Amino acid sequence: MLNKISGHEVDRRLLLKGAAAGGLGIAGATMLAGCASDSGPVTFGVRTVDESPMAQAQAIVDAYTAKTGIEVTANFTESNAFQNNLSQYLQGTPDDAFQWMAGYRMQFFADQGLLVDISDVWDEIGDQFSDSYKIASTGSDGNQYFLPQSWYPWGLHFRKSMMAEIGLNPEDIYNWDDMMAALEELKGQGLIGLASADKGGWEAMGTFDILNARINGYQFHVDLLAGREKWTDDKVKEVFRHWEMLLPYMNTNVLDLEWDGAMQLLLQRQAGLFMNGSWFGANFLEQSQEDYDDLWIVPFPEINPDHGRDTIDAPLDGIAVAANGSNDAGAKEFVKFAASIEGVEAQLSTGIPLTSANNLQDTSAYDPFQKQQLAVMGEAKYITQFLDRDTRPDFAGPVVGPSFQEWFRDPSSVDSILESMQSQWDALPPL
Amino acid sequence: MSVETAAPRGEQVARRRRFFTRQDKITLGFFIGIPTFLHVALVWFPAIATIGLSFTYWTGIKIEDITWAGLANYENIFFNTPIFWDAVRNNTIWILWFFFIATPLGVLLAYQIDREIRGHKLYQSAYFLPVVLSLAVTGIIWNFLLRPDGFVNGLLGLPISEAISFFGDERYNIWVIMIMASWRHIGYIMLLYLAGLKAVDGALREAATIDGATEWQTFRKVVFPAMKPVNIIVIVITIIESLRAFDMVYIIYGSSGGLPILGVLVFNNIAGEGASMKGAAYAVILFLLSIVPIITYLQQQFKDDVR
Repeated sequence: MLNKISGHEVDRRLLLKGAAAGGLGIAGATMLAGCASDSGPVTFGVRTVDESPMAQAQAIVDAYTAKTGIEVTANFTESNAFQNNLSQYLQGTPDDAFQWMAGYRMQFFADQGLLVDISDVWDEIGDQFSDSYKIASTGSDGNQYFLPQSWYPWGLHFRKSMMAEIGLNPEDIYNWDDMMAALEELKGQGLIGLASADKGGWEAMGTFDILNARINGYQFHVDLLAGREKWTDDKVKEVFRHWEMLLPYMNTNVLDLEWDGAMQLLLQRQAGLFMNGSWFGANFLEQSQEDYDDLWIVPFPEINPDHGRDTIDAPLDGIAVAANGSNDAGAKEFVKFAASIEGVEAQLSTGIPLTSANNLQDTSAYDPFQKQQLAVMGEAKYITQFLDRDTRPDFAGPVVGPSFQEWFRDPSSVDSILESMQSQWDALPPL
Repeated sequence: MSVETAAPRGEQVARRRRFFTRQDKITLGFFIGIPTFLHVALVWFPAIATIGLSFTYWTGIKIEDITWAGLANYENIFFNTPIFWDAVRNNTIWILWFFFIATPLGVLLAYQIDREIRGHKLYQSAYFLPVVLSLAVTGIIWNFLLRPDGFVNGLLGLPISEAISFFGDERYNIWVIMIMASWRHIGYIMLLYLAGLKAVDGALREAATIDGATEWQTFRKVVFPAMKPVNIIVIVITIIESLRAFDMVYIIYGSSGGLPILGVLVFNNIAGEGASMKGAAYAVILFLLSIVPIITYLQQQFKDDVR
């Protein structure tokens, strides 16, 4: 909560604390490494300061220490700050193991030699994960550098009780016309149809991803993000034409809200639908069990029947080993434990719902909301990570984020915005 | 210069030099050497390296990955990046606002307080208070007040969906930021000016009053010119403060394009995952923008002094 009040102050302070603790941890680790074997203490960089995920990370650490007697220090950093500092962090004295994301974002750092090849860990526990997860954990050299821990789908979230009062059944929102009718109905009730945020510059990327995938299909979306298709293509303009149709149903202060502000709109029953990743279920649960039980998700509706509802953004979060850490062997053992079913069970012991990436997790024990997430995921044939995980980092952050914000300010300037995005892509240095 | 005078002067220097013992030399060496070394290593080296790197492509990780880019980063910024011009516009507004509104207000307050108007002690503390806070803290305080779920919107009884979009609405968010920045800047200028005013000889004012000058004439013709050194500092500080603006905007908007200013663009392009030397080029542009007017201005001032 403190984090929400004064976000960045906490970032900075925690960052310093984390850095200090990390430094001390590493100094301690090196000192001990002299006398003990490679099973010395391990430091673990956790990229969150939110209550629930902190508790889950701590649970893994405690379970590992209880099992092996090896001391693990978890250093918590607010996720934006962690992300912004990652490259410096990995080149300096990083924690031995750290939380990160799959896909392009992981490959980039693996290519730079900043991550430890953990293919041998995959040889041991790889059978606990599906093949698509292995692909998402593989670097461009064919080795694995990442172990997935959890995932969440992006979809339309709503409160069952609100919809029941209004007499809407969001499960029936199958295509674009259904969606527009539902939004109109919500607006008629004096509600915001679709809660939206883009102050952080990334929140709206999820809406772009799904519109592009629904209208132009998975392949076009992937090709666009890889630079094989052009932003100036009429197909992309079509995406923005649809997006513009949603604007009248959104809150007017999109650029003044971060994701948790838009979530508040849903939590406080001011908005009917919320397009976001399901991770915020934990925030609803922190609020109350009733709020959590009231939460539901459906896939974003079909727009182009050729593509149906075949694609979904379902980012994979997990753990990696830093090459500049001081205890690679110890860190490998730790990440193996953390991603394995033992780590999953440790997290489940906190009572916080977890959709883990581990095949051995008993999904029959999922609560109804989690089962629905699984169903939404199951309907999709293609899985994408998220725009800022699927394209070059020097494009996603500095170019796409501000461009989408500019579009929110003036939707009529879409042509010049897209032209500018394309010319900025063309000006990127060769990789 | 004649030959006769050159010789004794040389002697004088030599004599003066003899006053330094070995120990003095070592001590002086330390006192001058260490700060010079630190200054060169921590200020000049990074600055020159940044200038060099702004002509390259690099992700900031492996030294061997640096490739020559020529002017590509600059071309990209000037011709390809609309957000750069948005940032230039915002920084220009910032500098004009500071110059024509915030700084004169600070001077006015300093003058009033110096005249010891009623309650000047209270005003002095009230206006000085924000100066104690860093811009980052200023940002946190105002963010707390003006966020959609913040104090002001709460007081007005507005739910998040109807909240006044102080930071999000591009029609007025720059002015909100200007007021926030002035909140601190006015106090800062007031403090500087007040210190200067206290040093102005009271006899000057008395003489002006006896000559029948009005309050305004006294300030305009007597006090203001006497305050020249402080005026220079105030002008330089106003330029620097408006161009280096970063912390407050970063606290409120993060590194995204919520309110583009040059400082944030440098950060956004050089820190984080998307590190590229476009950020270095932004830094060089910002450096030139700050240093050129200041050097020109100072040169002008010193030239006048020599004359």
